[in-house]
Amino acid sequence: MKLLRYLFYRLLQMFPIALFIVVINFALIHMAPGDVSILLAGEGADPEYMEQVRERYGLNLPLYQQLGAYIGQLLQGDLGLSFRTREPVIGIIAERIPATLLLAGTALVLASVLGVAIGAVMARRPGSALDTAVTTLSISLFSIPVFWLGLMLILLFAVTLRWLPSSGMASIAGPREGIGYALDVARHMVLPVLSLAAIWLGQYVRLSRAAVSETLAEPYVTTARAIGFPERRVMTRFALRNAMLPIVTVLGLELGLLLTGAVLTETVFSWPGLGRLIYEAILSRDTPVIMGAFLIMSFTVMLAALLTDLVYAALDPRVRL
Amino acid sequence: MTPTLTKTLRGTLRSVPGALSLVVLAIITAAALLAPVLGLPDPAEMEFALYQPPSAEHWLGTDNFGRDIFARVVWGARVALMVAIGAALLSILIGSVLGAVAGYFGGWVDGLLSRVFDIFLLIPTFFLILLIVALFGASLPLTIIAIALTTWPRSARLMRSQVLTLKSRVYVQAALAAGAPHWLVILRHVIPNGIAPIITDGTILMGMAILTEAGLSFLGLGDQNLVSWGGMIFEGQRHLRLAPWMSIAPGVALLLLVASLNLLGDSITFAMNPQLRTRGGAPKKRPTVAPPANEPAATTDTPILEVEDLRLVYSVGARRIAAVDGVSFTLRRGEALGIVGESGCGKSSLGSALLQTMPNNAALTGGTIRYDGRAIVLDGKGVVEKGRARIDALRWTRIATIFQSAMNALNPVTTVRRQMTDALRLHRPGITRAEATARIGEVFGLIGIPRSRMNAYPHQLSGGMRQRAMIALSLILEPELVIADEPTTALDMLIQDQILGEIADLRARLNLSLILVSHDMGAVAESCDVVAVMYAGRIVEIAPTRQIFDNPAHPYTRTLIGALPSLTGPLEELESLPATDSAAVAAAQGCRFAHACPAATDLCRAKVPPAVPLGDGHISECHYATSFAAEPREVRA
Repeated sequence: MKLLRYLFYRLLQMFPIALFIVVINFALIHMAPGDVSILLAGEGADPEYMEQVRERYGLNLPLYQQLGAYIGQLLQGDLGLSFRTREPVIGIIAERIPATLLLAGTALVLASVLGVAIGAVMARRPGSALDTAVTTLSISLFSIPVFWLGLMLILLFAVTLRWLPSSGMASIAGPREGIGYALDVARHMVLPVLSLAAIWLGQYVRLSRAAVSETLAEPYVTTARAIGFPERRVMTRFALRNAMLPIVTVLGLELGLLLTGAVLTETVFSWPGLGRLIYEAILSRDTPVIMGAFLIMSFTVMLAALLTDLVYAALDPRVRL
Repeated sequence: MTPTLTKTLRGTLRSVPGALSLVVLAIITAAALLAPVLGLPDPAEMEFALYQPPSAEHWLGTDNFGRDIFARVVWGARVALMVAIGAALLSILIGSVLGAVAGYFGGWVDGLLSRVFDIFLLIPTFFLILLIVALFGASLPLTIIAIALTTWPRSARLMRSQVLTLKSRVYVQAALAAGAPHWLVILRHVIPNGIAPIITDGTILMGMAILTEAGLSFLGLGDQNLVSWGGMIFEGQRHLRLAPWMSIAPGVALLLLVASLNLLGDSITFAMNPQLRTRGGAPKKRPTVAPPANEPAATTDTPILEVEDLRLVYSVGARRIAAVDGVSFTLRRGEALGIVGESGCGKSSLGSALLQTMPNNAALTGGTIRYDGRAIVLDGKGVVEKGRARIDALRWTRIATIFQSAMNALNPVTTVRRQMTDALRLHRPGITRAEATARIGEVFGLIGIPRSRMNAYPHQLSGGMRQRAMIALSLILEPELVIADEPTTALDMLIQDQILGEIADLRARLNLSLILVSHDMGAVAESCDVVAVMYAGRIVEIAPTRQIFDNPAHPYTRTLIGALPSLTGPLEELESLPATDSAAVAAAQGCRFAHACPAATDLCRAKVPPAVPLGDGHISECHYATSFAAEPREVRA
């Protein structure tokens, strides 16, 4: 019950943020050079459809009424039509989401589990040569442009060694179902997941190194050692358990950054997800799709932040629901 | 240059990554500045030498138009640095002004602006920038502005928290009192003083800006009129198989520049707070020793704890601080010893040495500790018997501690009951759930916590209850010796008294031996049989409680007792305690209290005082101990 109320309260707090994002989008459309109706309908739309768009978005009305009409359209799930394919943007985007989730989700799990583990081990020997080396290495890792890392992996593993496919999500002539299909997709996933995970790994190692070394200096860890708990228990039950709080917070805050990496990676590997869609939209000046993608990305990040809050509330008894 | 700035700079240069990144940054900056005069081929000039691999003529090869890649990489540095500096400056400018305004004025202005900062944190900035550039057309100035417009809340949040602390500073208040307008105070006093962490963050901001621009260019949204590394990779991608060098060189350049910026920021942060790099950690391995050959068996007369000439040294940078400098005492079974001294005298370090829980930068350099006649520390080394440290066999079952601040001494994410059950299970593996609950209830009853609070988390308890929970945790395994380190310091007077009373009561009922560490003579007076006064790492006087209050034989003890406010007597001026720096005092010749002693003579400043026995276990390390002892303290109340 408490959880439900908390959830409701947090959803309410998301409302102004969502509004803010929609207003930004609206303002950008109106400030951009060119006719608003073209931006909304797409270039080269037939006059009939154009008129229909003008009507629906109230483009002849005063600005604040236009905003109202715009929000009304969004609430109905109408993000306009793609200029290229003439299909509703919302459908095009929805189609691409699973592929992005698969890619980003796998890389995220891989990078966070590995990163937290490595960071925690490093926090046990702060200031040692190994710790300094790993810190430097992880900083360098997240300084790599992810798309470039992807290209280099293609160059090595696909072009030179010919071990793995370099693009797409499945082979054209490959199996379409069953375990064969899953394996085929897995093979295609290796390189994009590797490039994404490598960069995020750098972030998580640093994050977890900082968080764990902080908790290891806390008095309750000294208590645990005085009681006589073995170091392994001290590490898991006391240090890591408490370090998870800042780690989860930062994880939630950086989701936008994660999506950025995913989009650039998809572009490199022609992975048929949202990122690839955005890239294609940019190339064909398909503004309705770009705007729709921005809105969806923003709402995804908001929901993810909400999810993080819930996880945090579950982890930290001090959060009052 | 201010001293902190010099120190930060030196610290940064001394770290290998810091120095290295500065060198790389200098090279890249020089290349960018000198690009027009280096005599490089025109980066836009197309030769009829397409897809040439690296050679003596074209160091990094040529691209699909026959353009020299080395020249393009050098020219690309200009774009990268322009983006970095332009976006970071603009972002910091907007951010620090808005952050300063929010922090300075507070109230609804702060409320509103802070909301905006928070909202921006939730916006996926790269996509917003991408949308702006896609709608308004790709150009470098627009990209820079878009990056700044989406990243400024980062600096704003930093500046706001800086200003909140700066606002109350004297010079800000003085400027306001002198009638300076708010905007002038913000510009002249607030922003310049709060900018340091923002500049550190600026290096990270620059790295982000560069990667953002590169990402945009890679998606085809780069400025077509300029050579940018991201754009070069965008073109190189299509020719990856034919001419991989087209993509490799600009990527390496990006990596070097961004990594240098991030490493530099990291090094500066650590140079400003060196303890960030070394604090925490697992307990380090310490020297061990086998038990002595013929230890006499313990008898009923054997003291529970004997400490002989114990020494503990902290290493802080190159400094060595002797926090415990030759301490000896004996605690008989069932006895209570109070250790009193001002903060920094080494009393808590002594407590941590007894349980071997000192931090990694502390080391025992000498001395022996015997528990019930058996050595647990010999010559500063932990005694190990049959592969197990002797102290480990005593932990919590024989010796337990009550730590200073129960707020942090208990695990904040676990219930009190769970923490106690865990301790019970650890040392009594076979215990059932019901037995554990019964035992916890029993201990709760002893210390006066209602059983209903068993399932509470530490933060749900009041300060007094939390400290009682800590005491309950220390008693859960029926120890013989409890070391209480300032158990009541953080509590208000009334609760302090209650808890001290409860500890004294428990000690009598459970026949506990007790070491009570405190800065407060009053606290130990009530509950201890013997009082040891510590000053700068040494016990300067030790005596039965009655004796030390009636006949203090060390001038420092007299000062401490004088500092005790009398609740019944007339108001009198308190004798204030002189501050001490243990390290400096220990290094000085003669008596370590001489510099602050009202009765110090030349003898005191020249010669270390001997331990003068005054009978009944009363010992004072003062040249004039006998004459002090002969002259009882005047009764004040």
